[in-house]
Amino acid sequence: MDLLVMMLAALVILTLCAVLSYKYRDLGLIGAIVAAIIAFWAVSSSNPELTIYCAFVFVIGIINLASLKAIKSVIQGVDYGLVGLMILATMYIFTTQDLAMILVAFVLVSVPTYILVMIREGGTNVEVGIKYITFMVLATVLFLIGAVILAYTKSAPNAILYILGYVMLVLGLSIEVGVAPLHEWVPDVFTSADPIPMSIIASLAKIVPFIVALWVLIYSACDLTASITVFTAVLAAISMFTGNIGALTSKEPARVLAYSTVANMGYILTCLVVAINPEPAFICFALVGVVLMLFANAAGKIGFFNAIKGKGAYTPLMYLLAFSFIGLPPLMGFWGKFFILASLVNVGLFLGDAGLIYYILAAIVVINSAISVPYYLRLARDLGGSWQFNLANVISLVAVIIVFITVAFIPVDWFINSMAVVAQTIGVVI
Amino acid sequence: MSNELIFLLLFLAPVVSSIPIALAYKSKGWTDKLPYLSVFGIFISVVMSIYILFNLEGQYPYPWIPDLGINFVFMIDYLSSYMGVVTALIAFFIAIYGLDYMKGDYRPSWYWFCFNLFTASMLLVVYSDNLFLLFVGWEGLGAASWGLIGHWFRDDDDIAYVGKAGRKVGPLEFSWPPSFGGWRAISTIRFGDVPMFLAIAAIWVFAGTLNISEIDWHTLFITLGAAGTIILMVCLLMGLFTKSAQVPFSEWLMTAMTGPTTVSALLHSATMVAAGAFVFLKLTWYIEPWHLHDVPGLEYVFIFVLAIGLLSGFYGALCGTGMRERKVLLAASTMSSIGLMFAAGATSYWIDIEVAGMNLALLVAFWYMAIHAFAKASLFLVAGHLIHGTHSRFLCGDLEFGKRMKTAFAVTLIASSFLVGIPLLTAYWVKSSMDVLYEHLWLHHDMLWPIVLLIVISLLYSAVLAKFLSLNFIKGEKPEHEHLEGGGLMKLGYVLMVAMLFVISCGIIIFEEAAHFRHAGGEAMSIGVGLAILVVFIVAVYKPSISALSRFGSFLNDRMYLPYLNDYILPKIGFFISHILDDYVNPAIDGLFNTKVIPGLFGWTSRRIRAIQSGYLSRYINIVLGLVMIILVIVVILVRGVWQ
Repeated sequence: MDLLVMMLAALVILTLCAVLSYKYRDLGLIGAIVAAIIAFWAVSSSNPELTIYCAFVFVIGIINLASLKAIKSVIQGVDYGLVGLMILATMYIFTTQDLAMILVAFVLVSVPTYILVMIREGGTNVEVGIKYITFMVLATVLFLIGAVILAYTKSAPNAILYILGYVMLVLGLSIEVGVAPLHEWVPDVFTSADPIPMSIIASLAKIVPFIVALWVLIYSACDLTASITVFTAVLAAISMFTGNIGALTSKEPARVLAYSTVANMGYILTCLVVAINPEPAFICFALVGVVLMLFANAAGKIGFFNAIKGKGAYTPLMYLLAFSFIGLPPLMGFWGKFFILASLVNVGLFLGDAGLIYYILAAIVVINSAISVPYYLRLARDLGGSWQFNLANVISLVAVIIVFITVAFIPVDWFINSMAVVAQTIGVVI
Repeated sequence: MSNELIFLLLFLAPVVSSIPIALAYKSKGWTDKLPYLSVFGIFISVVMSIYILFNLEGQYPYPWIPDLGINFVFMIDYLSSYMGVVTALIAFFIAIYGLDYMKGDYRPSWYWFCFNLFTASMLLVVYSDNLFLLFVGWEGLGAASWGLIGHWFRDDDDIAYVGKAGRKVGPLEFSWPPSFGGWRAISTIRFGDVPMFLAIAAIWVFAGTLNISEIDWHTLFITLGAAGTIILMVCLLMGLFTKSAQVPFSEWLMTAMTGPTTVSALLHSATMVAAGAFVFLKLTWYIEPWHLHDVPGLEYVFIFVLAIGLLSGFYGALCGTGMRERKVLLAASTMSSIGLMFAAGATSYWIDIEVAGMNLALLVAFWYMAIHAFAKASLFLVAGHLIHGTHSRFLCGDLEFGKRMKTAFAVTLIASSFLVGIPLLTAYWVKSSMDVLYEHLWLHHDMLWPIVLLIVISLLYSAVLAKFLSLNFIKGEKPEHEHLEGGGLMKLGYVLMVAMLFVISCGIIIFEEAAHFRHAGGEAMSIGVGLAILVVFIVAVYKPSISALSRFGSFLNDRMYLPYLNDYILPKIGFFISHILDDYVNPAIDGLFNTKVIPGLFGWTSRRIRAIQSGYLSRYINIVLGLVMIILVIVVILVRGVWQ
């Protein structure tokens, strides 16, 4: 069956269930799960190479949905529908090469978080909502204008427009995901919002913006790209240092996680520098690095935020998540960082003498990984506790299983191979 | 039997067989019995080395890390096959002796494990073709020697000291306890090992292989040029000279006498000090310097080795004449002999004479090494027995005492007279060839000083060993204590050892490569030198000490105050450097990493980062919008500038 028709069907089910959940609460959850299953089936049957990617998104989405059980929100039922919408958009993102659809997916992932961020026990968190929405609107506007300008320069080359578009896109992305020095909203929102919606915003919501940005940048790459990527590299470096130093000197777990997000977004942002060459082989490592790092970040953030909500979780689980964040082999966080470094070295080799800055960037990634060791371990110690059979522990366990997947299948060829096909698709279309 | 198994048994049997005693260190019952197992381990090595001598030949490579040239590569050639047997046999005889000698010691586990590790390490050095593997054995020697020299680490028995306790010369106390002896040994050889390691690394970089027999030495030296060749070889030689206690690195050998006598015997004959000279011969064997006269700078290297060797030979023999301690006297004479081995090996640069397909100079040096090994080991074992018997480490013993220790007396007489070069006795033939080598240098290369020094050294050397014989058995003072009972295994040990000298004598008569020795023994010059040695020997036995020269003797007994270099000047330099580091460099590093710069920067950044989070939306908006605007404006300006 046609992919679009299936997705549409999933959307209809999602919407209907969300509406009806006003009356029957659990219908929202069921509808979201059914829609996710349909979308998973639709995407993986029409694009078999995306099965692994979709499976990860599916699992992350499901534990996001499950974690919403821990909170009694005033819009319970509808919140499941919003997360379901994000799952659908995240799965859909790799299947289309239509700029309009891609930007739509971006908006579909972004807008539900405006509402989710305000959820709290028995009320709404308006103050946080205003702060968050203000920045998101700014980010979305910059991002969309940048993307459109870049797409325009593809057909009508213009240096100033290209660079303006590039900078706007990267700035928009930076505000959206929280890259320093445009991260101001992150620590405030992460600490004052409820941990459960934060776990969704810090995990599922981060995936699409990066993929869209990478896609647009590769799509519109031209001779100027190599010189302007330095801008991204500088932002990434600032973000890594700001995030890690901020996290190292913070006490509150939610604030540590906020700065850790800033640092992680810095790591991932470094991968955008590969946009200088649209060869599939060239962008493959970056794609693997970005996606693995996003998954590792998502799993870790979900685990930690749920532990905060549940007032602690089983200690070994917390330590394993911390190890993954630190980048200890053979956990997923290690492979994410490994491929990020690999793609940086790739770019350095490609540029020859001018590539020195990317080797330096790789060194900065390594140094920052070292800086991050103490606070992740501290976090694991603070949040750790004894085993109890509750929602927080179960969700943490699933998160640990996700970061552990790479242990069971070393080397991670299976992932690289599937991403290589994805990279091929992007490359061919462009 | 497969070759792999043979090599495994050869190297591992001594180590594995001493692991049980090392583990059973708490049980007195076990540590009394398990030494036999350790000795058996060495016996396995003896069997393997003899098997290798008769059955294997050539290179046996077993890859380990081929990308770095680090492989298990063993070379069975003339040098290694014979030296392996010499090493294993001597270690075995000494081990038998040690069963008696070390009875009742306070830490047998430590002793036997280190002793066997020592033997295995030397075997690795002997058979390795790969320089890295050789270096592993080399470091094993260093570690084991430290453990053995400082074996009596409690420093509680004066019998283990070197020098008279409490005697001061200037600010320094001229007396060294075992713990200090061990430290002096390891610190001296480490000083040479580091440059040697760097030299090995340089060889890997420039030659692309670490296998001694495969390195294209000629191309390597030409690539490096004169200065490079000299630097490389001197770095390598630093390791060899420190290990072999050549001047000015000889001090550790003298105070190595703080270890058990068995250790001294092994250290002096077949391991450690011999290792330096042996590796020099092994390298020279494959460098073939007599073919490399077109390499700039190489001649200086060999002149340097010749000079250091002869200087050490002279210094050791001269100091030996003034020594009053049994083992230290023998140590000085060893240093002298090792010097002669280096020097004889170095003459190969000028000597292009082939005997049975091998270079004469290297053959002479190697045969001298083998003879010296058995003779010196016998003398040391006797010295150990005497120290047990008289409870004194100083030379003492009159004829009456000599009659009661007939075996020891006879062994000393044989070992010393066979070693010094008295006509017709074993070493005479090899020394005759040595005379011919130096004569060649004099007649064909205008170098008179080597032969003059050689003759002086030979005469002094003869006097030193004659003095040892005389003052221990004939003309010495009457010992204060005599405990002569027992010691059966000790006697067996040194009788077996000295018997080997007769075996080597047979070799000189039979072997094809010894033809030149037989021929050289008949030369007029050799006979003259030999007779002079005999006369000096007899005179020295008759009059072993001259009271008129006692002040000069004291100067020699103090090794010409060379301990000042080791214990005073070098430490002063070290303390000076450490003070500089402690006063200036350490605070600077601390300030950078721990107290000021980086922590300050960290704190400042952290405060800035957190200062932003005031919680006011308007402030955040100002910051973000401001940044976005500024960045966009800057980018546009920059791009326009570049574009136009």
